[in-house]
Amino acid sequence: MIALLQAEWFKLRKSKMVPIILAGPMIGLFIGLSANLEDNMQGIEINEWYISLFSMNLTYALLFLPLISGVFTSIICRYEHQSGGWKQLLALPVTRGKVFVAKYILIMLLVLAMQILYLGSIFAVGIVKGYTDSFPMEIVWKSIVGGWVATLPLVALQLWLSIMFKSFAAPFAVNVIFTLPSILAVNSERIGPYYPWAQPFSMMYIGGNTDDVFFVPWEQVLTVVGGGFILFFLGGYYYFQRKSI
Amino acid sequence: MGKLLTADFLKIKRKGLWLLTLIGPFGVVALQMVNYGVRKDYLLQQSEDDWGYYLLNVHSFTPLAIVLGIAILTSFIASIENETNAWKQLIALPVSKLTVYLSKFTLLAILLFFSSTLLMFFTMGYGLFLELGDTVPYMELAKYSYFPAFAALPILALQLWIASVSHNQGIPITVGIFGVIFAYSSYLLPDWMIWKWPSLMNQWNQPMINVLLGVGIGFLLYIIGMIDFARRDVK
Amino acid sequence: MEYIVQTQNLSKSFGKEQAVSNLNLQIRKGEIYGFLGPNGAGKTTTIRMLLGLMKPSSGTIKIFEKNITKDRIQILAKIGSLVENPSYYPHLTAYENLEALRKILGVSKTRIDEVLEIVRLKEVAHKKVKGFSLGMKQRLGIAASLLHSPELLILDEPTNGLDPSGIIEIRNLIKRLPEEYGMTIIISSHLLSEIDQMATQVGIVSKGKLIFQDSIEAMRRFAQPKVTFKVNNGEKGWRFLLANGIKADYQNGVIFLEECSDEKVAHIVQVLVQEGISVFRVEEEKRSLEDIFLQMTMGEQGK
Repeated sequence: MIALLQAEWFKLRKSKMVPIILAGPMIGLFIGLSANLEDNMQGIEINEWYISLFSMNLTYALLFLPLISGVFTSIICRYEHQSGGWKQLLALPVTRGKVFVAKYILIMLLVLAMQILYLGSIFAVGIVKGYTDSFPMEIVWKSIVGGWVATLPLVALQLWLSIMFKSFAAPFAVNVIFTLPSILAVNSERIGPYYPWAQPFSMMYIGGNTDDVFFVPWEQVLTVVGGGFILFFLGGYYYFQRKSI
Repeated sequence: MGKLLTADFLKIKRKGLWLLTLIGPFGVVALQMVNYGVRKDYLLQQSEDDWGYYLLNVHSFTPLAIVLGIAILTSFIASIENETNAWKQLIALPVSKLTVYLSKFTLLAILLFFSSTLLMFFTMGYGLFLELGDTVPYMELAKYSYFPAFAALPILALQLWIASVSHNQGIPITVGIFGVIFAYSSYLLPDWMIWKWPSLMNQWNQPMINVLLGVGIGFLLYIIGMIDFARRDVK
Repeated sequence: MEYIVQTQNLSKSFGKEQAVSNLNLQIRKGEIYGFLGPNGAGKTTTIRMLLGLMKPSSGTIKIFEKNITKDRIQILAKIGSLVENPSYYPHLTAYENLEALRKILGVSKTRIDEVLEIVRLKEVAHKKVKGFSLGMKQRLGIAASLLHSPELLILDEPTNGLDPSGIIEIRNLIKRLPEEYGMTIIISSHLLSEIDQMATQVGIVSKGKLIFQDSIEAMRRFAQPKVTFKVNNGEKGWRFLLANGIKADYQNGVIFLEECSDEKVAHIVQVLVQEGISVFRVEEEKRSLEDIFLQMTMGEQGK
């Protein structure tokens, strides 16, 4: 398994697409530095960091994170679709299940790396804006890790689709179709909690309930995120098992 | 040119591109179906002009759908040629590279405006269903359906350029994601950013400016992309 | 002399790497020009430049006495080509693939059936190319290249991936075209035997340079047989021959000579017998074209 992960990492590194994780902090910087909510917030007693966090997390988690995770999965399948990579890989003494798991783990690690870089961009925005309040470390960590956990089912579905389709456009189209409605879903107390694509936002939303480990109740994490993960992961896993290469 | 275009229409058969041009506008209106379905009474209280408010609600998603739709369609069109490197077969035909590029752009523009037309009918259809008032604002309806498409022409030109010269379609798709983030943050963007234009916002409150800029800059970006495409060796 | 294709000092470099250097191809009408060279010698790059897919770094290309950079479209209207792996649209049927090209070329629809007949794909005309075997895709590529009845056909490794019967079929087809339609054909290959069975002219490239260009007969003349003499004492016999002014070679106990007339053989046998050496066998050994080819390319590498 370790060898397989190393091989996957090697192929991915050579595809020169790893720098795409820099897109995360770039988006963070862009939103953080162009939003000027401070003026609207005058007179309200609030930690300065929260002001930036609200606007940055909103756009980042609502649209960027779900969409970019689909790009990662397409990239990790790209070289297999080209010139018969799948048949070469699967003719090696490895099981298909392990290949699937290795690719999934690697993508999740990349998303985690991007989340941490995004954390860096939050810091950078605060420094540029000259924030003096104490950095809300606990809340930010909740948000970074929470957002990462929320992508677990999304990455599983996208990996499934990326194995199924050769082109980038097809899995991306599906991703877009599911991601755009979350803009509306998060406004609804009835739909929002049950919509998997809205979970990155909910779990990164710093205004959420802070009593639990994450910003959303455990039941929601377990059912919507966990349930979605099991459904999509097993779906992709079994699809890959039966796929004729 | 006509010959190339009919060939290009043949090539998109069975690829689901027509379905996507249908899903785009349908999705935009369907979101309002959910929105109005859940809280119609509340939404109708928000404004005296129910049609106008409804059109604004629809329009809040149109730029996002256009930006992402363009990224998806251009990448699809490019990958049809990329898949077995059919560029080399296509360019070895007695056609100029400029015409090959023009044909792709025209195909995409036709799909985009077809989508806009559908958007207009879907918007009108659901608006009538909601019984928003007897006087249907046809001019406004047409404006909110077609203006964003015109304003998005520079994005179309840019995405086609990137998609047709990239071997890795991850690049144009990522550019498309940046585009949708920009479009979503339109209110923060300066007026010169092309991703702001489909929102029809500008400091003078004149949507027509976005349309004219879209056509003008779109043409310019199209020319730059075409020249670069023609200049490159075909691998 | 009228050349259909003529290049002058054609060169192409990718960064520091010189893929093709100072190539002077000359191809006459009605020839089957075998473009021969090991993989990576610059054959495909040259073909891409002939088709205007790549621009030469320097040098000129004239096809039908016109310049490819200036009159590309007029020239391409008379060229059919298949470059490297066949290109196709997998989601379309064989017929639709040809239809997509036919629309652009503006030839009549009946040509599609004709070319499908020529490459024997008529039965699968309405199946998606996705499920085709490599050989069928290759034949579809050839069909596409014949669609507009070109005067010049450029085929890059056309028998790649074909089974033996497929190879023979394509070979017969290629031989037929110049006779029946007056086509000129350029066919590239890394297999000498392949070119030997089809070509009338041969050009050999190695490391981007043209090291041989002449008729196939001239090439075969390189393949003069050598005559070997097996005797009871090779070294001794060889010395006697040298002493008698006969230039011979000696290796592994065998005396051998390049280029040897019947009279000379008789003379040598006489000399050997006179010196008391028993002659066991006199044999003529034909050199394979592979040997010659290797010799040519090795010579080039040695320089």
